[in-house]
Amino acid sequence: MWTYIVRRTLYNIPVFLAIIFLMMAALRVSDPVSAQLSKNPSPEEIKLKKIEFGLDKPFVVQYGIFMRQLVFLDFSERSWDQEFTVKEMITKSIPPSMAVTIPTLAITASIAICVGLISAFYRGRAPDKILMFIAVIGMSISVLVYIMIGQYWGAYLPSNVFKDWPFQISVDASAGSSPWFFFIPSNWVAYCMLPVIINVTVALGYDTRFYRAVMVEESQKDYIRTARAKGASVKRVMFVHMLKNAMIPIITRIMISLPFIITGSILIEVYFGIPGMGRTLIKAINAKDFPVIQTFTALFAALFIASNILTDVLYALADPRVRLS
Amino acid sequence: MSIWTRTRRNIVLATASTAIFASSALSAGVQAPKDDALKVMQLPIRTDGPKSLDPVVGSTTYDNMACAQFYETLLTNKYASPMEMEPLLLSEMPITQDGGTTWHFKLKPEVYFQDNACFPDGKGRLITSDDVFYSIKRLADEKYKLKNWWLLDHTILGFNEYKDIQNAADQFDYDAPVEGFRKINNTEFEIVLEKPVYRFLYILSMFQTSVVSHEAVEFYGENFARNPVGTGPFILDTWVPKQSMTADRNPNYHAVFYPERSEWSKVDKRNRLHRAAGKQVPFVDRIEFTMFAEDQPMWLEFSKGKLGFSQVPEDYFTEAFDLASKELTEEYLRKGIRYHSNMLLDFTFRGFNMEDEILGGYTPDKIALRRAISYAIDLDEINKTFYNGRQIVYDGPIPPGLEGHPENHRADAAARGPNLSKAKKLLAEAGYPNGEGLPPIRFLTSQSAINNAVGEMVKRQLAEVNIKFEPVYLDFSTLIENINKKKAPMFGFAWASDYPDAENNLALFYGPNESPGSNHYNYKRPEYDALYEKILTMGPSDERTAIYEQMRDMVLDDCAYVGGMARERFYLINPWLRNCKPTERYYGWFKYLDVDDDARN
Repeated sequence: MWTYIVRRTLYNIPVFLAIIFLMMAALRVSDPVSAQLSKNPSPEEIKLKKIEFGLDKPFVVQYGIFMRQLVFLDFSERSWDQEFTVKEMITKSIPPSMAVTIPTLAITASIAICVGLISAFYRGRAPDKILMFIAVIGMSISVLVYIMIGQYWGAYLPSNVFKDWPFQISVDASAGSSPWFFFIPSNWVAYCMLPVIINVTVALGYDTRFYRAVMVEESQKDYIRTARAKGASVKRVMFVHMLKNAMIPIITRIMISLPFIITGSILIEVYFGIPGMGRTLIKAINAKDFPVIQTFTALFAALFIASNILTDVLYALADPRVRLS
Repeated sequence: MSIWTRTRRNIVLATASTAIFASSALSAGVQAPKDDALKVMQLPIRTDGPKSLDPVVGSTTYDNMACAQFYETLLTNKYASPMEMEPLLLSEMPITQDGGTTWHFKLKPEVYFQDNACFPDGKGRLITSDDVFYSIKRLADEKYKLKNWWLLDHTILGFNEYKDIQNAADQFDYDAPVEGFRKINNTEFEIVLEKPVYRFLYILSMFQTSVVSHEAVEFYGENFARNPVGTGPFILDTWVPKQSMTADRNPNYHAVFYPERSEWSKVDKRNRLHRAAGKQVPFVDRIEFTMFAEDQPMWLEFSKGKLGFSQVPEDYFTEAFDLASKELTEEYLRKGIRYHSNMLLDFTFRGFNMEDEILGGYTPDKIALRRAISYAIDLDEINKTFYNGRQIVYDGPIPPGLEGHPENHRADAAARGPNLSKAKKLLAEAGYPNGEGLPPIRFLTSQSAINNAVGEMVKRQLAEVNIKFEPVYLDFSTLIENINKKKAPMFGFAWASDYPDAENNLALFYGPNESPGSNHYNYKRPEYDALYEKILTMGPSDERTAIYEQMRDMVLDDCAYVGGMARERFYLINPWLRNCKPTERYYGWFKYLDVDDDARN
């Protein structure tokens, strides 16, 4: 297995280099200096900014410099837009995002798999139709609508009635500067639980439909009929036989979502004031803050490649027929 | 699985989760509960807040808002009447005896920098004349990318030479002399200008010229921009970018007093703004800013009573105000909420690139084309439809409230629409009868829901005279890039005046300021430039106002833009926040605010 992991990692190095190259080239189509100038910029100010940003150097040199920073894990370059290093911005933004995305992923996957199983079991009958109708409705409504309604009806209105209502409208200054603030249970309930509920509601529709399709396909296989014929209970057939054999698509779905736990959710973070990666990233994109965009993209690409390799390893663990070679 | 195995697994899980929560709680540095007796004020910052807390690299409103709590300038605006100035770090207004070339300054005694580790024993020291010179010299240092150099370019005697010599040298020498800086003693000094420049005093009230200490700049180095050490009323506690900023009262703040009763107007007195007259500020122990990139959470937090004040976002105006009377609704009055409105020194417009092949130029046919476009656009319809009729549509680039602004907001030279017959006639004179042969006009503007809708309305209005209009919606940085590179034939933009003098707006059409400078129209008329250079040295007078009007009409005759409009900003104030009269002229007024915790609920 380790040989396989090492080989796959080596194969992916050119892919990683190409991703960074393309991303850096695409970013440089527009001029980032304009976004950082004063109200009345002089050609002198523009020239100094270009030198400061290293944009006066040839593209290949810029690429080389960034690759060197990646190899040595040197993220001390300063953001072009804020007075903080890229390392500070990313390390302070990822934990708050994860306080929302990890519970969202875990809850959504658990509920969606169960609903998918139930729906597949009652395929074509009323429970299936009702569940799928709810799923389609859930995924058809924009997340923005859920946020606005959730914030108003889930936090603002009840807090006017119940003094100790747990959900807050948004994160305020009392949260301080620690990125781990949201991992304290009482803070998590106050600031993250409502966003998680909204995220789960939105994601549930997509996941439920996917898992239902997987389970329906699985339920039509011969081994299910055999298990039923041998007298296995419905519960055992569903949660032991069927679920075990459906693990490959489930692993694929979950693993593909895994890198996104660091990206956060832009709208959720902006509305609920969660100082996460989604908010940092959209701000960086708007301000053409290349150091932050580049570093984050590199991090995300590395995570994506790692999760792909891990997916293959998990396939082998989940299904004895799969051999890593 | 045996019971023991299951139990053991549960114990491991429970222990692990407890450890995670405990460690996270510890690393979060759970804050000790704040002393209830402390007065804490919670305020919003709309958008993502400041980018930098170093005055010389700051440029945005939010940099200004944040810096003004920690740093101070020699002069400032008056809280009771923000269009006027008063001394802040000075004991009296600067004096000139040669018509504005040499200015004599006397620093206020007993003004200390905030206590900080950068000073010996952590104790802040007295500010001196050298600190003022040092702070101004930083504007000339290329290390700070000359971001605000334009404020003092060709203003102080010998300063441009100093800048060139020092930046060419191996090391920037802050001790090297500048001809125009004359130190008399530690608390008195003179600044000599190249020639009298009236705006100089306004510049000394802008946050970019705040007084900083060289100890702090040297001690914090690259991190100085997030470790402000000034003489201001508050000391920075935490700054979480895009999230929040907290600051505590500066216990050594110099003697600054709330404006006297006589300074307040009748309306202000009715709002009981005078009740703290003569008392020493600041009143609150701690100030907590939360940044809001979206309006809904800010509005809900304000409605809940958590924030002291809030701007009224466009979408929520009718919720709080009766549209016809512009008065607060009963519901808000019952809650004890009051409002305050400000007319902003605003100039929003749709500009033409005067170097564009089709739209630019100064020949009669080119002017006729631009005027035809202007006559076809109905700004009042835009105002009524998208801004509840709350903007002021006016002619000329000088916003309401400043000298040179036309009476009733109208000037004869303007091509104010809608006047379709005139538009058609001028279109024919321009060589495009009934719009024939005129290529579509590319209009670049920033992407937003309101801009997209306005763009569609203008498209419809221009279609009535057969002018094809192609709005292109861009993110703000791409829009700036296109304008700076003179690639935008027509563009939507806005300018907020830096100081309350029309000269600041008239500079937008001064030839040498062409793109990437603030003259985005690339407007060039030698006679206009000559007048601009003349007004720079003139103080307020009828003669100067007449020249302002002459320059205004020149721009209107040439029709370098379609517009303008000025916004009126409405603020709501919760009953627990006292002494609040929001202004956007300056941001040093937070120190005058007080909280009444008994009125919070």
